Amino acid sequence: MKLGKRWLPAHILVWTYAVLLIVPLYYFLASAFKSNEEIFAHPFALPESLGFGNFRTAYDSADLGTAVVNSALVTVLALALTLLLALPAAFALARSTGRLASAMEKVFSLGFLIPTFAALFPTFLLAAATGLFHTRLFMVFFLPATAMPLSVVILVQFMRTIPREMEEAARMDGASTYTVLRHIYIPMCLPGIATVLLLNFLTFWNEYLYSLIIIGPDPEQRTVQVALPTLKAITGTDYGVLTAGTVLTLIPVWVVYTVLQKRMQQALINGAVKA
Amino acid sequence: MTTLTSPPGGAAIRHPAPPATTGRTGTPRQGGTILAVPALVWYAVFMIGPVIAIFVIAALHWPGMLQPVSFAGLGNVRTVLDDPVFWDAVRNTAVQLAVALPIMIVCAYMLGYYVAQKPPGHRVIRYLLFIPGLISTPAKAMVFYAALSPDGLANGALQSVGLGSLTDAWLASPSTALACLIALDVWSGIGFTAVLFAARLDSVPDDLGEAAQLDGAGHWRTMWRIHFPVIRDYVGVVTMLQFLWTLFGSAQHVLLLTQGGPGSSSTTLSFLVYQKAFIAADLGYSQTVGVILFLAGLVGLLAIRRAFRQNY
Repeated sequence: MKLGKRWLPAHILVWTYAVLLIVPLYYFLASAFKSNEEIFAHPFALPESLGFGNFRTAYDSADLGTAVVNSALVTVLALALTLLLALPAAFALARSTGRLASAMEKVFSLGFLIPTFAALFPTFLLAAATGLFHTRLFMVFFLPATAMPLSVVILVQFMRTIPREMEEAARMDGASTYTVLRHIYIPMCLPGIATVLLLNFLTFWNEYLYSLIIIGPDPEQRTVQVALPTLKAITGTDYGVLTAGTVLTLIPVWVVYTVLQKRMQQALINGAVKA
Repeated sequence: MTTLTSPPGGAAIRHPAPPATTGRTGTPRQGGTILAVPALVWYAVFMIGPVIAIFVIAALHWPGMLQPVSFAGLGNVRTVLDDPVFWDAVRNTAVQLAVALPIMIVCAYMLGYYVAQKPPGHRVIRYLLFIPGLISTPAKAMVFYAALSPDGLANGALQSVGLGSLTDAWLASPSTALACLIALDVWSGIGFTAVLFAARLDSVPDDLGEAAQLDGAGHWRTMWRIHFPVIRDYVGVVTMLQFLWTLFGSAQHVLLLTQGGPGSSSTTLSFLVYQKAFIAADLGYSQTVGVILFLAGLVGLLAIRRAFRQNY
């Protein structure tokens, strides 16, 4: 379709919004290299030097190093557990035709209607009852449950596209159920697995409220999202340090996004649509 | 989206397993369902159980973690309904939804349509639009804190263009605190939602729009009269999502930016659930609001579903 002159207002509006997205982020990035005086005097100027002093202060004062390790641990273990639970489940649901299986699938799809946030307090009680309160371990157990509906539904969709003859041929050769899953289904739905991994990486890494309540403020255990807001209290109004700390927590996600841009968008779009 | 369309013939290939095969291969699909049980159990323990617990706790009188618990029946409901703070929260939540949702969906749809036409620079736009979707809630809150605090970006910008009289302590002023929270939702929500719409519009065949344009329809008409009805269902799904995110997700923004204040001017329902549970330790109250929130979510979902149903 041709875009005529009458599109001028549209171009202007869209780029205005783009500027509204960039300016705060630019301000953020620039401020991370500035002192407070520099920020207030010239909010939009490029920083005079590219020293990493603010980053070091943020890193040290909020224990961001430990927090990043904690976040990485929680994210990776929860991702592994999600796949460990969701793959066999999706495999079973994709192959079976029974009434029980379709009921189970319905339960998972209904899960989208449950807003996780609503159950914050009961989950806190559960953590206390299991003796896992104030531990990262509970989050490792809990996060996969929140990811289960989406992960199972996406994986079932992918697995349904695998022709049945593949499995039947393998069965002729004496393959067990496990072998079929391991050597046929998993390799053939790698794109689906990647989608699930990316989607959940983003939610797990960015999870805030539950981590705040369950893991709590202990610097040894807390994740990076919980550590980040404490900078506001620690540094008072040292915007340089505050922004530097925030930028640090964004780097992993931003790197993954830039490298896997296409795939990431696809993953999120798939995820949102199924929800 | 193409990756997810299941093959139409998927069911057709199924045929009875030949009886000649050995016992193991003759029952390839039986006994497999059990593999779904661990995931289901996990899901039930960590998600379904806690959700049911909300309803139970809502019927309890529980004035603090270490206090004795007694059955309250509908007593909590009465307490909640008599509390002016609750009604402030209802009003704030209603305002938030009524302002944020229409702006977000309409702007995002138009933006998505724009991107889907592949104008010059659409790749850059697509990349940028997505960024708020990647940023964690605390990071977004930090961005807004730095922008809106008394000596932050917004006031700095106003001062530098000579509008110093308009500066305000945006997050600490009763008249603007809620507006700031709504602005945060809209700022970060439009781009992400637009990418979703653009992806869906990409799969609408090009000749549909071209035919309309040959018939003399302008872009505005094509956008609203041709493309919008085609993806109407999808708009409904995205609206439902945004509705849920706004309704339940606002607790985090409020907690990080305004703590519900000043007074109760920016207390939303979901923040009230958090605040009563973890700050005021009035657990019965908190979970009663939780139940109300849950029901509001359900009613809202059904209403949105109805509003977007094909009605021609």
